[in-house]
Amino acid sequence: MKASRAGFRRELGSLDGVFRFLGEFADAVGVDERTALCIDLVVEELFTNMVKYNDGGGDQIVVGLERIGDRLHIELVDNDVEPFDPAGVPDPAVAAGIADRRPGGLGLHLVRSMVDDLHYEYEPETRQMRVSVTKVLEN
Amino acid sequence: MFEIERSANGNVHLHGRLDAAEVEKARGVFDQVAESCVIDFAGLNYISSAGLGLLFATQKRLVDAGGALTLVNLNPHIREIFQIAGFDNIFEIE
Repeated sequence: MKASRAGFRRELGSLDGVFRFLGEFADAVGVDERTALCIDLVVEELFTNMVKYNDGGGDQIVVGLERIGDRLHIELVDNDVEPFDPAGVPDPAVAAGIADRRPGGLGLHLVRSMVDDLHYEYEPETRQMRVSVTKVLEN
Repeated sequence: MFEIERSANGNVHLHGRLDAAEVEKARGVFDQVAESCVIDFAGLNYISSAGLGLLFATQKRLVDAGGALTLVNLNPHIREIFQIAGFDNIFEIE
């Protein structure tokens, strides 16, 4: 299996199923445990952002995975939503001490730190959002 | 699967995976922490921004009251997450 795709209900309770899906794919294409945990984190952050912030979205969020050579491509597709580009969210002040630190923005900061490319597309006609990330595998 | 327990000495022990679907379970315990406390990560193998946000809010509340959390036994993956998040500047990590 080099590619897999599945839809999950738009709710945080879907995360267990999402993680099972990711784990089965990671085992099938042979990624190490550390990379598998990174993939879990990246997909959880993008999925939960869609659940929390994409007002009025469709019933399901689709997660697609594909390994091509040493690259893992991950795609999340959400329908009937307003445009929102995660790449435009500013990084949190990670160098600040607790007095100057504000909550928020951590999830996308973690995603950007762990992947090699983050790409966003929005189709106004279909109101479809597509977030794609690429991670270069080390093994 | 995520589990959280507080031992007789007041330390908080985390087990399993702390993701966005489990963070409310953790919040129920963290909200009861009123003074300096050790959080033992020995049994935890995954954390996302939802758990990090809860830790941050708890630390902020305690620091404002003159206390702090001490985090112990983080595995290398979680340690890396903390470094990326800049939490080295916010928590005492042993």
